[in-house]
Parts: sequence; C-alpha cells; structure tokens
Amino acid sequence: MRHIIRQISDKAFTILTGTSVVLLTFVLLIVLGPMVWRGVKAVIFKDTVEFRKMQLDLYNRGNSANLKLENAETETFRKTVYKIVDDFKHGIDTEALVDKSKQIYRQLGKELRYKGITNEEYQRIRSLARELRDRLQVALESNDKKVIKENIDYILQYHLDENLADTSAVEFFALAEDFQQSVENIDLNKRQQYAGSLQQIEEIVFHLLGPKPGDPLPALTMDRYGATRWDLAQKLLDKLLWSEKWIQQEVDQPLVKIRASRAEEFAGTKLEPLFGYIENNLVKMLKPELTVYWQYFIDDSTPGHYFGGVGPEILGTLLLTLLAMLFVSPLGVISAAYLVECASDNIAVRIIRMSINTLAGVPSIVFGLFGLAFFVLFFIPLFGGPSKPCILAASLTLAVLTLPVMIKASEEAIRSVPQSYKEASLGLGASGFRTFIRVTFPVALPGILTGVILSLSRVAGETAPILFTGAVALGPLPKSPFDPTMTLSYGSYDIAVGDRLAMMVPHNQYGMVVTLVLLILCLNAIAIVLRARISRKLRGQ
Amino acid sequence: MQKGNDNMPISALEKEANLDHINSVVSLGQKASPGINEKKPDCKRAVIKSENFSFYYGTTVGVKDITMEIYPCSVTAIIGPSGCGKSTFLRSVNRINDLIPHTNVEGKLLVNGHNVYDKNTNLVNLRQQVGMVFQKPNPFPKSIFDNVAYGPGLQGVKKRSALQQIVEESLKAAVLWDEVKDDLKKSALALSGGQQQRLCIARALATKPNVILMDEPCSALDPLATVRIEDLIGQLKLSYTIIIVTHNMQQAARVSEYTAFFCLSELIEYDKTDKIFTNPVRRQTEDYITGRFG
Amino acid sequence: MDNIVQNNKLKSTAGRDQPLILTPLQDMRGFLFHHLGRLLLFLITCSSMLLVLLIFFFVIREAIPFLTKFSLAEFLATQSWYPEAQPPKFGALSLIVGSLYVTISALVFAVPTGILAAIFLSDIVSLKVRDFIKPVIEILAAIPSVAYGFFAMLVLAPWMQTKWGFTTGANVLNASIILSIMVLPTIISVAEDSISAVGRELREASYALGATRFETIFKVAIPAAHSGIIAAIVLGMMRAIGETMVVWMASGNANQIPSPWWDLSQSVRTMTATIAGDMGETPKGSPHYWSLFAIGVVLLIMTFLLNIISEYFLASAKKKAGGY
Repeated sequence: MRHIIRQISDKAFTILTGTSVVLLTFVLLIVLGPMVWRGVKAVIFKDTVEFRKMQLDLYNRGNSANLKLENAETETFRKTVYKIVDDFKHGIDTEALVDKSKQIYRQLGKELRYKGITNEEYQRIRSLARELRDRLQVALESNDKKVIKENIDYILQYHLDENLADTSAVEFFALAEDFQQSVENIDLNKRQQYAGSLQQIEEIVFHLLGPKPGDPLPALTMDRYGATRWDLAQKLLDKLLWSEKWIQQEVDQPLVKIRASRAEEFAGTKLEPLFGYIENNLVKMLKPELTVYWQYFIDDSTPGHYFGGVGPEILGTLLLTLLAMLFVSPLGVISAAYLVECASDNIAVRIIRMSINTLAGVPSIVFGLFGLAFFVLFFIPLFGGPSKPCILAASLTLAVLTLPVMIKASEEAIRSVPQSYKEASLGLGASGFRTFIRVTFPVALPGILTGVILSLSRVAGETAPILFTGAVALGPLPKSPFDPTMTLSYGSYDIAVGDRLAMMVPHNQYGMVVTLVLLILCLNAIAIVLRARISRKLRGQ
Repeated sequence: MQKGNDNMPISALEKEANLDHINSVVSLGQKASPGINEKKPDCKRAVIKSENFSFYYGTTVGVKDITMEIYPCSVTAIIGPSGCGKSTFLRSVNRINDLIPHTNVEGKLLVNGHNVYDKNTNLVNLRQQVGMVFQKPNPFPKSIFDNVAYGPGLQGVKKRSALQQIVEESLKAAVLWDEVKDDLKKSALALSGGQQQRLCIARALATKPNVILMDEPCSALDPLATVRIEDLIGQLKLSYTIIIVTHNMQQAARVSEYTAFFCLSELIEYDKTDKIFTNPVRRQTEDYITGRFG
Repeated sequence: MDNIVQNNKLKSTAGRDQPLILTPLQDMRGFLFHHLGRLLLFLITCSSMLLVLLIFFFVIREAIPFLTKFSLAEFLATQSWYPEAQPPKFGALSLIVGSLYVTISALVFAVPTGILAAIFLSDIVSLKVRDFIKPVIEILAAIPSVAYGFFAMLVLAPWMQTKWGFTTGANVLNASIILSIMVLPTIISVAEDSISAVGRELREASYALGATRFETIFKVAIPAAHSGIIAAIVLGMMRAIGETMVVWMASGNANQIPSPWWDLSQSVRTMTATIAGDMGETPKGSPHYWSLFAIGVVLLIMTFLLNIISEYFLASAKKKAGGY
C-alpha cells in the first residue's frame, strides 16, 4: 500500500513540476502575445484615404494626383451624408436659424439705407421685416406644428413683395420655406433630445470624415483628418449606429449600460436614412487599403503620438545604449582581463569582487539618483558642461549600471580560453601581454561580444536610471550629447499612463512598447546564436 | 639507434609504416630541405646541465636533487612511472612552470652556462632558443600559416616574404609541407591529430631553437601518427638537441640515444639507452624496465 | 612573469644567438613595464570599487540634509507622507510597508513555482529538453520592466476590474503577479544551478536504496542544495524590492497600508515608485528632494544587506559542494 502511495506521489510530483514549466511558457505567451499582436497593427494595418491625406500633408509621401482622384471619388458619397445632416438640422437647430434670421434682418437694414428711399418707406419696410423676423422666431421656437404653419404661411405671403425683392430678404424666405419642409416629418417634442443626439452624431461624423469641406481648418493637427485607420473607423461607426446610455433599471441598483439603435431613435425623421447609408457606404467614403507603414520606425510623431511613428525614440534609445557600451566595454574587458590573468587571491582583489557584486545588486532607481547627484550635478559641471539631464549623463549612468554584467561575461569568456594556448604562446617566447593580445583575447572575443550584446539589450530596456538623467517624453531631436532625448523605454511608460489622447491611439501605445520588446528580443537572439556557435566551436575542438 | 627492437614482434601496421618510412627517407634524400643543410645549426652549444636542481610545488616535491648533463645533437629520453617528476623537470628547462603559482626552486639549471632560474634571465630569448612541444597538440585557432609564423613574428620578422620562407622551411622540416602546402590559410584545427602535432613541431622549429623539449608528444595520437612523429624525431636530432619525456619505454628505446630514469622525484639512472635497456645498473631501473612496477 | 620582446632589429636566425641574460636596461624596462602595467590594470579594475563608494557617498550626501533636519523616527515609523504640505510631513512607513507587501506577495507566487521549475530542469528532463526550455526563461528575463508594466496596466488591470469586480485594477495583486514573473528567471537559474551542483553521487546513493525520484529530490537533493536555494530566494527578493517601473505603473500608488492586511485588491505605494514619481516635480535642494534621497538610502541599505546574505549562502553552498 505504502509502495503505491509512493509511486503515485512520485508521478504526481513529476506532473506538478512539469506544470510549472508549462505555466511559464503559458505566461510568456499571454504577456507577449496580445501585446505583439496589437503592436504589429501599428505598422501593418488597413489605412484610409484620410491616412494618405495626412501622410501627404505632414510627410510629403504619396502620389498627390492619385489622392486628388480618390478625394473626388469620396466626395460624391460624403456629400450625401452632409446633406442629410444639414437637412435634418434645419428642422432642429433652431438657435442657429434664429441667429441667421436676425443676421439677415440686420443685413436688410443696411441694404435699405443704400436703396434711396424715403425715411417713411424705410421705417415701414423695416417694421415689416421686424415683424417677419419675430414671427419666424416664434415659428422656429414653437413645438406646435399648427403655430408654425400659421406663422410661416403668414411670412410667405410677403414672398413676392416688391419692396423686399433683390435684398437679403430672399434668404429669409428660403429659410422659412426650408424650415417648413423639414418640420413636416419631425416630432417636435423630441427636439431637445434630437438636438443632443445630433450633436454626438455630428461629432462622430467629424471624427470619421474629417472637417466638412468648406469649413475653416481646425487648429489641432489631429482634428484635420478623419479616421486614418479602418479599425478606428469601425469603432466610430459602431458608436454612430448604437448609443450607450446608463439607465437605472431597478431602484437602488447600480446603473446599467444599455445599447440602443440610433436608427430607431430617429425613426421617421429625415435623419433615419443616414445610418443605413453610412453603414453601407463607409468603404466608398474612406477607401480602406491594407498597408505596411514601415516608416513608423523613422517618422517623428505629432504631439501626443496621435499620428506618426517612433523614429526619434528609436534614435534616442540607440544613442544612449551605444554610448553607454562605448564607455563600459573597455572598462569591463580590462577589469576582467586583470581579474583572470593577473589577480592573486589577496584582500584587494576580494574587495573588488565584492564591489562588483554590490554594484550588481543596486536597484535601478538608485542608479538614477546617483546619476542625478553625481553625473548631472557634479561630474559634468566639473568639466564645464551644463548641469542638466542630458544624453551624456544618462549613458554614463547606464554604463555604471551594466559594468558588473560586462565584467562577469568577459571574465567567463576569458577564463574559457584553454590554458594550452597560453602555454604554447609563452613557450614560443611571447610575453604575457603579447600572449593576451594575440592569442587569448581573439579567442575570447566572441564570448565578450555576447556579453556586449546582452548588456546592450539590458540597457535598452532600462527606464528608471534615465528618468532624471536624460530622458524626456516630448522634445526635439538631440543636437549634442548635452541635450536630453526621447527613448523607447521612457516613451512607452509615458504613453501608457498618458491621458485620454493616448488611449485613443492604442496602436501607437502598443507599437512603441512592442518595438522596444522586439528590439531587445532580437539582440538576445543574436547573443544566443553567438553563444551556441561558440560552444559548438569549443566542443568541436 | 633505429626503431624496431628486434626482440619485439612487429605488427602488420608497423611493417607498413616501416616501408613508408623507408620510402620517405629516400624521397627526403632527393629533395633535401635547404634549411637543414645550409645553415646547420650550432646545436653543439646547447648544453643543458642541472646541478642539484630541485623544484617544489608549495611543499610538495616535484623533483629532488637532479644532477645531469644533456648531450647536444642527440635525443635524450626521460622515462619513469607517472608522478615522478619527468614533466616537472622538462618544463623547468624553459621555465614554463612559471605559470603555476607558489613554486620554489633549489640548485641550478644551466642552459648554455646560464642558470635559467637566475633573476635576470631573458625569458623571451630562453624560450625562443628552447622550444617546446606539448602532450596534447595545441595549435592556435588560426590558420596553418599564422601558427607557424607566430614565433618569427614575435622575433620581429615583419616582411611577408621572409615569413613565407620560414614557414615553408619549418613545415618541410616537420614533414608536413607536402600535406598542407596547397592551403596554408586553412584553419589549423581542421587537421588531424597527428598533423596538428607536426604543426606544433613546425611552429616550435620556426623560432630556430637549439633545443626542443617534447612532453609525451605522442600520447594523444594514434599509432600511425606516432610512427611519423618518431621518424621526424629521427630526422630532427641531426640538427637539434631533443629531450623527450615519455611513459612508453619502447618509444624511448626506439628514438633516443640517452635515457634518464626518474622515480619518485629523483634521478635514478642516466646512461646510454642501450645500456639502460639491456644492462641497467640500479635495481629500480631494472624493475621498471621489466614491468615489475610502473 | 615575463619580460618584453627585444627590438625589431632581430633577424630570423638571431634567436639562436641571443644572450640569455638581460642587460640592466632590459631588466629595468621589463620590470617597469610589468609592474607599471599591472598597476595600471589594477587601478582600472578598482574602478568598480570606486563606483560603489561614489554611489554610497553621493546618495547619502544628498540625504544627509534631510536626516539632520527631520526626525528619523518619524521617517521610519509614521505613515503620513505629505512632502508638499505646510509643514511637510515625511512619514515613509507606508512606503516601506508597500514595498514589502508587493515583494513578499510576489515571492509567495514565485518561490514555489520557481523551485518546482528548477527541479524540473535539473532532475526530470534530459539536457536536450533543458536546452529547449532555457530560452523561454531567458526571454522572460529579457523582457524590459516597462513592457511588463505596460502589460500590467493596459491588459491585466482592466481584466481584473471586469472579471473580479475590483474597484481598481492597479493594486498589490496585480503588481505581485507581474513581479513574480520577473523574479522567476532569477530564482530558477540560481536554484537550478545549486540543485544540479549537488552531483550524481548523492542521488545515486539514494536511488540505490530504493527511493523514488520524488523522495530523492525532496529528501536528499534539496536539503543538500538548501543554501543555494535560499540564496536564490534572497536574490529574487532583492530584485523585487528594487523594481521600479512595474510597481509604479501597476500598484496604484496609494499611500496606505491595506486594511485588512490580507486584502490584496487594494493599492499601495512602494519606495521605488515614490522616488520615480516625485522626483520630476521636486525642486533640487528642497526638503522633499532630500527626503527622496533618504528613501534611496533605505533602499540601498536593504539591497546591500540582502546581497550580503545571498553571498553568504552562495559561499556556504560552494563549500558544501566541495567547490564546484
């Protein structure tokens, strides 16, 4: 019996340990999978004509002749949308109409003064116009169709009055007529509600199709274009077709979200066909196409990363890491060479080894504090440099951070060179120094390079040490080592905790962090391949 | 002192090798390497003498109180059971033992009249004049050419033509030239074990030494390769003083003119090889030779 | 060791005739070169020691003004962290406790999983499979902390909120889960090294007595490797305490100690996140600035102590294994 228990527990245990490893793989996939999938969409996605417009305007890319053609094609379909909305608006947006009528009245007054009529006439026509205007206002603001009809009919009586001919009053009558037509199909009680929804709908259309042709260009770049990505457009379409409301379904219960079809909400009105039309013709209005936006890795981005790419961030990361490796490699290799070749086991060497281990254990944020207190505020000003966060300070901090890694990797590489080479070289009369330079070091070089690449990949991902020593979230390209820079690591942090603006462009968020992760994984892959080749070479020996 | 002790059975392999050897000797005679004939080295000067020489690893004795003189232009074999100090003594001659920390030395070890353990020894020159071939072939992971040219490069030979000449001479002297002359840029590690060892010999020869120390050069090689190395030793002894450490008594009998028997860190007997193997004076020597221990 | 090579005037046959004695000039040159060279290399290698001293010196230097003007007891024992209030209050207790909360919870997840995985790699699978699995662990170790933080904030936090109805997705649980993933590679590699180093002889003795694999591992291998395993845990703890980005993004940054203590769905604030978050808006040379360095000193001391502890255990593991 006991034997069976022991066997079962053995099997169970084996399965348990296997599970832990399976769990690890699973976790890796969960963490990397969705992020990489979403990040890839920053580069490979379905774009729209708005995207191409934006690329042409901001980056001078694309064929303007083709674009003009495309524009013209989409225009025809978009016109319908605007027309439907405007038509409906006239029946709803009475405030604007009221203002318009007042404006026409004033215009009329001005025109009359130049008409060369007697003061009496002038007064009479003016008071007539005033009456018409007031009646129109009543009509516009009334919810009673009868009242409206009454007033409009009254107004239209004077349609052919010769006193008012050839003046702005013509617009006046057009307004009145339009209004009468629009009002025919509307449930005036719902006007308030319609007004609110209409505003939302207009906003969505604005985000979908961009500013209305003829309207003044908005100040913010991000508002100048419609939906630049097909997936964004789909999301907007959904928002257009369905409204979400929080409703208190039961008393004392938390509010529940309800989705309602907007088409139903506007049933029977002039706006109703809009929804079906947009749904069916969005493709023709936006012309989506699958594209590979490889310039993502080169382009700068507009504020908030709304448009554009991560070019400056990649540049910043490369600058920082390469500069850091430049500082740390000689230091690390020479220290490793000393420790392997010359060091005897005395107290000084033991202290040095302990220091290396201590350095390896210091938290990265403390390195940031050190970088700030030492490099930014003391060391660089000592040599006459400016005492502010800059690339130089950040890369020096990163170099100190990665020194233990370099030393350990180089030591391992140098130690793994077979002693027999050293003996052979010395036996031929070479000095220790020459033996190292001409025999040991070349053989250890691939191992050292592996260490360099691994250090590089670690340094590229570090954020905490560069927070106060040289990284900024937004800024111009650095022109000298004394400027700060944007980086992929800090940029990823900034865009993740960013405001609503960042949340609107998830593909850019994921794009930046996935660029960083893929860069690091590539470096690691190179190091792994290098290491495998080295061990094969050594084993083959 | 030719190979093949008549008392021992010769295997088919050895018979074949014998024929090969005869052929190669004949062919060598026809294209005698210029290097060996022209500048016949002055190996008579290479006298190695040890006077009460002792070597300690910390407190452990390596060798104790060795007094012997190595005769120039000949092959001296050092035999004995493992751990008796043969390699220690050999490696003291060119001071390659310096790589090991915490060692001390007593007595004198003289090369050309100069005590190599003297403080003001020019180690670089010493090691260029006393070359070494190690137990396991250890060519550098470089090309064949670069391996052989390494030593002369250290000596300051920079011109390509001079280096090429030296490389060719050395490879011919090591009887490797014909096998590799077509591709000197090939990696040394691509050669077979025996070829690598001959390359190491060529490499050592390239510094134009007077003495060649060989520390069990054939123990990592197959019998065929061993035969060729032994042939080579036979060739080289005409121009160099060779000290070879070996645990293979038959090999010692085959290649050497003088043999030293070390046991338990001491020099037991040192005499002409004939004498040692046919009529040893000391009891220990006889016991070892006849296989009673070792 | 060795002396320098002579000048380039040597010809190819020269080696043979060169004297074996050094001229006084050569001797001196060799001596100088050798010893000066070694001295230079030694000094360069001392840079690591120098850097450690500099780090301690400069971080402590900026913290001293804080420690002289404000009470250390209040700093370590009270919870009110209001550095911008008038008068400012610097009670860092909740920050320290926050760090410990997140670290220990992370270890609770990571230690069992890590040791089981280490056992799996050292005892249960063949070398080939091991070489296949190692890359998975290396990739987990290579992913930068900001990417983990990103995942924690934008994927895990919303999922927690919708699935489990937490008030916020940025809490101790979130941070601990991600931190445990981050320290797993450290724990696994150190633990696996020490379990493997126990050697076959001990295991073979156990099997020869009829033990199952489970029993051998738990009763023989692991006890023999216990120093190394403890070292692995301590190193993991060191990593978790020092981690900044993940906790900054995923722990919620609420200056409180969760009550009840087992409610992991509440937010905390760690020392590292405080330094990272506050420093950007703090004027240099203000008490707030110094207080952040004081927190840095606490972090430094804690990780230094943990480092020493892990070194001790690693050394004792080496001794037991007979120096591998």
